[in-house]
Amino acid sequence: MIEKIKETVKKLFKENKIDIFIGYSEGTLPLRSTPCFITRSEDIEKLVWNSYCSNNLAVYLPRFFVSQRGAKDAKLPRIGILAKGCDGRSIVGLIKEHQIPRENIYIIGIHCGGMINTKKIKKVDIVAAEEKNDKVLVEDEDKKKVELKKEELLADMCKTCQYTAPAVYDILLGKEKQKTKKEDREAFIKEFEKKPLEERWEYFQEQISKCIRCNACRQACPNCYCKECFAEQAKPRWIGPTNDISDVMFYQIGRIFHQAGRCVDCGACVRACPMGVDLRVFTYKLIKDVKEFFEYEAGVSLEEAPPLATFKQDDKQEFITEP
Amino acid sequence: MENKKFKIIKKKEILKLLESLKKEYSIFVPIEDNGDARFSEFKSGQDIFWDYRNTKISPKEILFPQAETLFCFGPGAEVKAEGSTPGGKDYLIFGIRPCDAQAISLLDKVFGGEDFEDPYYLERRKKTTVISLACSKPQIDCFCTSLKGKPENEEGADIILFDLGEDVLAGAVTKKGEKFIEKQNKWFKDAGQSDVDKKDKLMDLSLNKIKSQIDIQNIKEKLDNAFNDLLWNEIHQKCLGCGICTYFCPTCHCFDITDEINPKAADSKTPEGKRVRCWDSCMYPLFTLHASGHNPRPTYKERMRQRIMHKFNYCPENFKEIFCVGCGRCIRNCPVNLDLREVLVSLMSLGSLCKDKKI
Repeated sequence: MIEKIKETVKKLFKENKIDIFIGYSEGTLPLRSTPCFITRSEDIEKLVWNSYCSNNLAVYLPRFFVSQRGAKDAKLPRIGILAKGCDGRSIVGLIKEHQIPRENIYIIGIHCGGMINTKKIKKVDIVAAEEKNDKVLVEDEDKKKVELKKEELLADMCKTCQYTAPAVYDILLGKEKQKTKKEDREAFIKEFEKKPLEERWEYFQEQISKCIRCNACRQACPNCYCKECFAEQAKPRWIGPTNDISDVMFYQIGRIFHQAGRCVDCGACVRACPMGVDLRVFTYKLIKDVKEFFEYEAGVSLEEAPPLATFKQDDKQEFITEP
Repeated sequence: MENKKFKIIKKKEILKLLESLKKEYSIFVPIEDNGDARFSEFKSGQDIFWDYRNTKISPKEILFPQAETLFCFGPGAEVKAEGSTPGGKDYLIFGIRPCDAQAISLLDKVFGGEDFEDPYYLERRKKTTVISLACSKPQIDCFCTSLKGKPENEEGADIILFDLGEDVLAGAVTKKGEKFIEKQNKWFKDAGQSDVDKKDKLMDLSLNKIKSQIDIQNIKEKLDNAFNDLLWNEIHQKCLGCGICTYFCPTCHCFDITDEINPKAADSKTPEGKRVRCWDSCMYPLFTLHASGHNPRPTYKERMRQRIMHKFNYCPENFKEIFCVGCGRCIRNCPVNLDLREVLVSLMSLGSLCKDKKI
């Protein structure tokens, strides 16, 4: 697979179709790959593709176009990007929200089999790891090797992936992977919805009490491209900058609500969090509601108008009047 | 180290010793928290997480909390400086790793330096006794030996402990530490040569576990001429601009001061506002945003350069110290695996030729 990726990127540079390519290279820690930016064709050899390529690369795209926005005749960069299903959905969102021009993005879509959540490996002293088909071989500092099943290590959002490849791409690589039905992906949220209010509130409290306001969830999110975030606005000041529970709560609720009709459930926010805060039930609840109310799903089509940007006479509004 | 008089104490006895000190001290010990380690106030019946690698959040939060109220104000409210230790008790930080203890000695230079004195930090610091626990659990991203550190580094500690299994070896580092041990003498015995040998073996083993070694000799001088180097264009590329590296860093010390106003405080006795100081990060755009709207560090590149230059060039200039202890937290927790060691290695590759490189 990696050879195919390299070949494609080489061709893109050779045919002068892109100025820069965003993919993954080998990380410095076991079980890690790291985003990499390639501008010279000799660096293409650095590219890797494995089960540690979890970062959503779409997050890097808007910054290439921010400074040129509004400038006449600005020469915009042409960017090639490796896109898993989730990265691809984020790219669609960014195109639709006019943050990146479609014609400047060359999307190499890839069928993704899911990425590993290293937090699921309980051993803390892993010094090396090797991936072999559906197994991961980890080695500790005493050179003891343990074989783990990849399937058991997949991140929650990957385990029930509905779209393993992007809906919009210029070229699609790899073999089709097994997808999960919508009902199965939703199972976790349905279970959560059934819980009494107190329990759901308790879960929310428990999660946000871990938050240290490092903003990693926001920064890792391709949707959070605002030049000025409400969390830092000074006029008016919505919230304070501390890790006080009321500030944290307001920050997280604000962050989640701004995802309504936009979140593609890539899980970048959960992955980036160093403190293990997982608010995916709440972002997914919004996805589910938007789907029910407006029959819209973010990131799967370039044509469908986003619900927040349209108005229909028969738009559902119960949720406004009946809390 | 050669002539240090070591004492020995049973691990079980340490819990009793800490228990007896609770009246006098607010004691902070490493405990297990959500699968990680974190410093927390010692509670009766609580065990110490002896085997911890290092805490996720650095113990700098004890002396320099993420958010603290400096004072309250408003009609009827007495303006009173806060920031003392809770209950006026002394602080005992027990069992911090040598890298983090060294970091405290660096923070001392900032908050208690010749030019500026920070009363909030200093009041706590003066009341603090630091008991460090020599490191027998280095991680793969630890690189203290590339800097000034080592598993038994004493800097910043008043007493250093060595975990020998059932026993703990203790050695005083400062006068304060000496006095502490003297006062608590009944808990300790003199250590024998075999205990000291055990300790030496343990430290050798630990040192061997630190595989990560980078050469950053004269990095300050390298960076003197590197401000305009083209390398910065690449170094920052994958940075997301979050605050993890700075918030987790035991030496990062930048803060923001804001007023929190409570407009609904009708009762005149209620303070209507408070001035809060909280951690800030040079990786945030707001960090240098001027009121005019101008930002001298407008992109990720300038902000990343600031973080590296501050630690490895400006601080060596101002305090004669590199502000990195090699604890590896910024590497371990970075969501995109932007590895400080790689950054340093690439900066070290800068030759004198690079002087004239301009953007």
